[in-house]
Amino acid sequence: MAKLEARNIVKYFTHESHRLQALGGVNLKVESGDFVCLVGPSGCGKSTFLRIVAGLEEPDGGQILFDGRPVTGTGPSRIMVFQEGALFPWLTVRDNVEFGLKIAGIPPDKRADISERYLDMMQLTKFAGSYTHQLSTGMKQRVAIARALVMDPDVLLMDEPFAALDAQTRDLLLIETQLMWTRTKKTILFVTHNVVEAAVLGTRVAVFSNRPSTIKRELENNFPRPRVSEDEKLMPFQHEILQELRPEVKKSRAGPEYGRAGSESGGGKGGRP
Amino acid sequence: MVIATAARKNYAPHKIAFYVGLVVVWQLVAMVDVWPDNIFPSPYDVGEDLVYGASNGSLFYGFATSMWRLAVGLAISIVGGIILGIFMARVEVVNQTAGSLVLGLQSIPSIAWVPLGILWFGLTDAGIIFVIAIGAVFAVTINTYTGVKNIQPYYIEAARNMGASGGKLVTNVLLPAAFPYMITGFKQGWAFAWRGVIGAELLFSYLGLGYMLYVGRSLNDISSIVAIMLVIMAVGLVIDSVVFKKLENKVMARWGLR
Repeated sequence: MAKLEARNIVKYFTHESHRLQALGGVNLKVESGDFVCLVGPSGCGKSTFLRIVAGLEEPDGGQILFDGRPVTGTGPSRIMVFQEGALFPWLTVRDNVEFGLKIAGIPPDKRADISERYLDMMQLTKFAGSYTHQLSTGMKQRVAIARALVMDPDVLLMDEPFAALDAQTRDLLLIETQLMWTRTKKTILFVTHNVVEAAVLGTRVAVFSNRPSTIKRELENNFPRPRVSEDEKLMPFQHEILQELRPEVKKSRAGPEYGRAGSESGGGKGGRP
Repeated sequence: MVIATAARKNYAPHKIAFYVGLVVVWQLVAMVDVWPDNIFPSPYDVGEDLVYGASNGSLFYGFATSMWRLAVGLAISIVGGIILGIFMARVEVVNQTAGSLVLGLQSIPSIAWVPLGILWFGLTDAGIIFVIAIGAVFAVTINTYTGVKNIQPYYIEAARNMGASGGKLVTNVLLPAAFPYMITGFKQGWAFAWRGVIGAELLFSYLGLGYMLYVGRSLNDISSIVAIMLVIMAVGLVIDSVVFKKLENKVMARWGLR
């Protein structure tokens, strides 16, 4: 049985009085321990799909099955790492990492034990007492990942977590994320618009079509790890992804909704209040 | 940069010179005897009254009475304002109904509640505390509401995703995330409360610094009136610059807002 299954997920957006279909029946099966990267043209709804999996948004049709059972609402079994990090500025790095444990009612000494382990894994021990504004963007994303891992989620959902990083920091985090995955054996769904990122990270890459989006093709990636972004042997795989992606990007730019929606991200984030 | 230099320059000598000059001019005007002493007191007379009031304890007693009432009234308004503000921000029907009333009530000056306070509670501490609390509560409410409304939605989403809901969401996310706005509410609330307590004490004529002003007026004791006004001003300055500035700086520094 699949760890996570999306069955025919449909989602509409209302944008300035016209309705457009973002997701046109997305089907995806994720086995335990999979690292699935979702790529697609900007505004295709891949982030929305991830938010639906997280239970932060309701689909207009279809079902999310978790260990074979349908789930609604959000919860710590599917933890999201947000694009912006969404760290709490009023808490120290340590308190941010321990947040979910505190909510779960775990006593302080046990919280400290757990957070210590993940602070160490993400190389944050030195910064445990800092507030988030004192950290670089890369450090913030490390904290966000540690905060998610602490919850020991069955599925880790990552929404373009490295989009705002400079190239060097991103390369570093790509390697660390692979290490984290091999160490924790987490099931990961990772949204990105960056083909290199998808090729480096994923055991599988699912390519979204233009709106109304479906998963157009899934590509297996059994390349040995750790992979690095400049590895030439990964290039053919990247090309393969690009070949699927390019016509969709073209369509998304030519599409009638594009001009009216006003911005590329209008579809992808339109559901956010 | 011009602004930076202006901020860095030390104006303490100018300040001292200004206040010394002010007192000297005041003393000179009083000595010229344009107005009689019972209309225009000299700084010396006022100083004498301050020393006298401090030595016989009446100023401290008055101060303590006013502060005690203020503390109770402000505490009630802060607790009530936070609860009401959160409900308004999170439950739209509360906002549309009670929220619209809050906007109206907020425009009523504290002092206008005095007649109601007297009729409902009599000339008691409770009446004065009522005036303070109701005068300050809506400033706290509105700022808490604004603070909660301005919380980045992904803070709340992340917290819900990590299992926070209900009371845990309020105490662990909504309150701390809205706190920078709430401080503004506390500051406004304190300012209304401080004006409210002095005004209410004047009209209730029942102990406290405001009552002492009233006594001064009845006795034509103008130097004691000015002395008490100086105390009221000093308390206001100290609370603003010590309590609220410190709180604000601490929160701003933690959030990295400065």
